[in-house]
Amino acid sequence: MSLLSGTDIVKHFGGIKALDGVDVTVGEGEILGLVGPNGSGKSTLINVLSGFYRADRGRADFGGSDVLRLGPHQIAAAGLARTFQIPRPFRTMTARENVALSYMFGRSRHSLDSARSAAGEWLEFTDLEDVADLPINQLTLHQLKFLELARALATEPRLLLLDEVLAGLNPTEVEESIRMIRRVHARGVTLVIVEHLVRVVTALSTQMTVLDQGRVIAHGDPDRVMQEPNVIKAYLGARWDHA
Amino acid sequence: MTKRGKALAGFALAAVLLNLVPTLVEATDSPGFYITFMFTAFFWISQAVSWNILTGYSGYFSFGQGAWFGIGVYTTGILAVKHEWPFLLALPVAGILAGVAGLVLGMVVFRLRKLGGEIFALTTLAVAFVLASVARLYSFIDGGRGIFMTSTPLPEFLGDFRTAMFRMTFVVAFLTLLAAYLIFESRIGWGLFAIRDDEQVAHGLGVPVFRYKMLALGTNAFFSGLMGGVWALQIGFVTVDDVFNIRVPLFVILMSVLGGMKHWMGPAVGAVIIYTLTDRLNSAGLEDVNQIIIGGLLIVLVLAVREGIYLRLRARWKLALATFLAALSVWTLADLGSSVIWDFAYASLLTVGVTLIPTRARRRTEVRSEGPPVAVDEEASTDRGPG
Repeated sequence: MSLLSGTDIVKHFGGIKALDGVDVTVGEGEILGLVGPNGSGKSTLINVLSGFYRADRGRADFGGSDVLRLGPHQIAAAGLARTFQIPRPFRTMTARENVALSYMFGRSRHSLDSARSAAGEWLEFTDLEDVADLPINQLTLHQLKFLELARALATEPRLLLLDEVLAGLNPTEVEESIRMIRRVHARGVTLVIVEHLVRVVTALSTQMTVLDQGRVIAHGDPDRVMQEPNVIKAYLGARWDHA
Repeated sequence: MTKRGKALAGFALAAVLLNLVPTLVEATDSPGFYITFMFTAFFWISQAVSWNILTGYSGYFSFGQGAWFGIGVYTTGILAVKHEWPFLLALPVAGILAGVAGLVLGMVVFRLRKLGGEIFALTTLAVAFVLASVARLYSFIDGGRGIFMTSTPLPEFLGDFRTAMFRMTFVVAFLTLLAAYLIFESRIGWGLFAIRDDEQVAHGLGVPVFRYKMLALGTNAFFSGLMGGVWALQIGFVTVDDVFNIRVPLFVILMSVLGGMKHWMGPAVGAVIIYTLTDRLNSAGLEDVNQIIIGGLLIVLVLAVREGIYLRLRARWKLALATFLAALSVWTLADLGSSVIWDFAYASLLTVGVTLIPTRARRRTEVRSEGPPVAVDEEASTDRGPG
């Protein structure tokens, strides 16, 4: 059963077609790996689905409504959350307040008082309890990335779009993050992960979609998808066409 | 008692006490300008605090305060004088019209996604200019002739003119502070702070940014207009140049920055300090250097306390309160100042000064309490020096 089903999504930037008729389907409980070379449209797709960019054409059904017609806060209320590649915490708030804020709004409304205590749960889940009440500028990149995750989870999403959570981390932190992604998935959250480290995505995801120049060039089982000639070609260039 | 309960009780107590002031002044046969001093302070408190609901909370810098204020002034001017409405009936209309004007501006500027903060600031400034021209052009508003407010009848239960002004400005200032507090301590306040920090992220996490910004702008404009409506009486002869100038927007900015924009009380404290200073400098015959002194003071204070004076006072409230009371009683008993307002001005300045002095030691302790334990030990040991 598909949770998100997008068809013919188009997004131009001036003359450039960042998304050129993308079809994307995410099944309930899946981890969909979204890969592709630089500039293939992965981040644009995330931005369109989360309402940050307005699509020029197409539709994306999620929970009974077309998210391409909704504003970001309505999309959050429908149960679709995202993280940012470069963490963007609220800088005048502590980690706890960041998480409390997204719990207060998010998918359903909660009161200020209940949010403060509920925030603890997500901070514990992401191992941020120790730094929860420090000023934000004392957190490391790794902690800030987990804070992105905690904040997104606190909106109680059904579908979570993770934009390059592993970028900029050292190998130990990458391992920790992978474990964290698995734990999030185990809680019943469907995931879309955008990632540069193809090896990691292949290992994590249950389905994979490959984008190139704003089009889907392959979709399916992770191991098989990466063997397809046009995927190899997109990643390595035409010279390897007959390799 | 909950935090909010305590605060509301504080509000109620302050309301009762302040309401006694006119009676007290009369009973003790004190000069009437004490009351004028206080209601002018209420005026500035209301303007600064309402401005901060938009700009301090949401981060959208507004130069529009003069516009909302001006709409209020002219609304009661036109309704109560030209159309002879009862003043208290015209007054709410002043607030509502200003609020609606704010919302109309919001509909335009907040709908345009690409509009940045700078454009917002300039647009709000332009609104005042446009309104000034409109008022000057059309005789049903002003037409360049001005409006005499001096013989506007006021209901008897408000007392003589000064007492009536005190009561009305007091109610408006009180409501402004109450609104600022209730928003600050609510989901809406948090949503606005999130917008201030990163609007896009806030939006994505579910904050209805458009609605909240409209609410902040509407509340700002409403209270500013409401106070403007009262203030028309104090101005006496309302003219376009006196109303739609840069004075109100400039002063609310100074007051809020000085007092601190991150807390609902900050602008109120800033308003009292700056108004007291300008008033005393004027009464000492120093009108000409007034701006220089205020400007210089502002530079020093903003550099010394970035978070604003209010948070600094609160962090050291025992010291502040003790200094203030001590200074006030010394000045009063020794009869140093020529009036209570001078005593108050000296005591306030001294209090602010005292809470600022040990800045360096304070900052170090702040770092200590925030930093990891290891860093504290290291710093403490280097502090002790050799031996």
